[in-house]
Amino acid sequence: MSERSNISGDLLWEVVRHNNAYLVKRNSGGGVQFSRDPFNLVNKHSRKNAGFVNDKAVSVQPNEKGGVTLQTKKPGKASTPASQHNVHAYGKTVSNRKVYKNIANAVGKNSYRSDLNRSAIARASAIKDSQRPKKDAPERKPRGSKASKTEA
Amino acid sequence: MVSAKKHVPIVKKHPKKWNRHQSDTFKCVPSAWRKPKGIDNRVRRRFKGQIVMPSIGYGSNKKTRHLIPSGHKAFLVHNPRDVELLLMHNRTYAAEIASAVSSRKRIEIVAKAKALGVKVTNGKAKITTES
Repeated sequence: MSERSNISGDLLWEVVRHNNAYLVKRNSGGGVQFSRDPFNLVNKHSRKNAGFVNDKAVSVQPNEKGGVTLQTKKPGKASTPASQHNVHAYGKTVSNRKVYKNIANAVGKNSYRSDLNRSAIARASAIKDSQRPKKDAPERKPRGSKASKTEA
Repeated sequence: MVSAKKHVPIVKKHPKKWNRHQSDTFKCVPSAWRKPKGIDNRVRRRFKGQIVMPSIGYGSNKKTRHLIPSGHKAFLVHNPRDVELLLMHNRTYAAEIASAVSSRKRIEIVAKAKALGVKVTNGKAKITTES
């Protein structure tokens, strides 16, 4: 079915903006709202980043075995969820530059979502960084009375 | 762990607690702030040498409001999935593990936060043991 759905993204957003399954609200830190939506690149609850509302949206998620997967939504395919997304998986051996280049080409070009280009690359970068092994923090030196105790 | 974004210095204009007038003299007067309303009250009339009353001018700079000393804002997390929300915000938000979370699950949360480079404000609570 290539028929366009007759519900606009703007209307959807007005319906779900106050409460939806992805929305996470906290009172701490001055009241913040995040979103768990996989098609939300920066996890911010906002119209621009709400991937489940927009016709065109980008998802960058970690693979199970390392690397990232880029998904973009095909507009006008809301009624056929199985073939709704373009999927590109980049394994952990693909170089960072190649991943960023490919994401930039898929997101920024052909007037897809050039406004999300930077955040898509930033997210891919953050995920790649999180998959790197981390060093342990150096052990704390004893200070004050504990230090003099160990010296003696 | 990433350090917070650069910010203007945090200034607390009145670091002490606002205690209610005469809560120090009478046991039956609790310390929670109440504005004095009496007709002769010297605190209300702002006489010299009296305690000062809280007012909007003592509020923090909007840019540093809710900031913890490290420059982050605290975000309450209950599980590793909550930490993932902060992936793109590790320079503005720090995770704070909710008080009811067990030590077993705290270890998972702290490990996740370390992978994502998210600061945990209470990462040592319930995990460290006295040796």
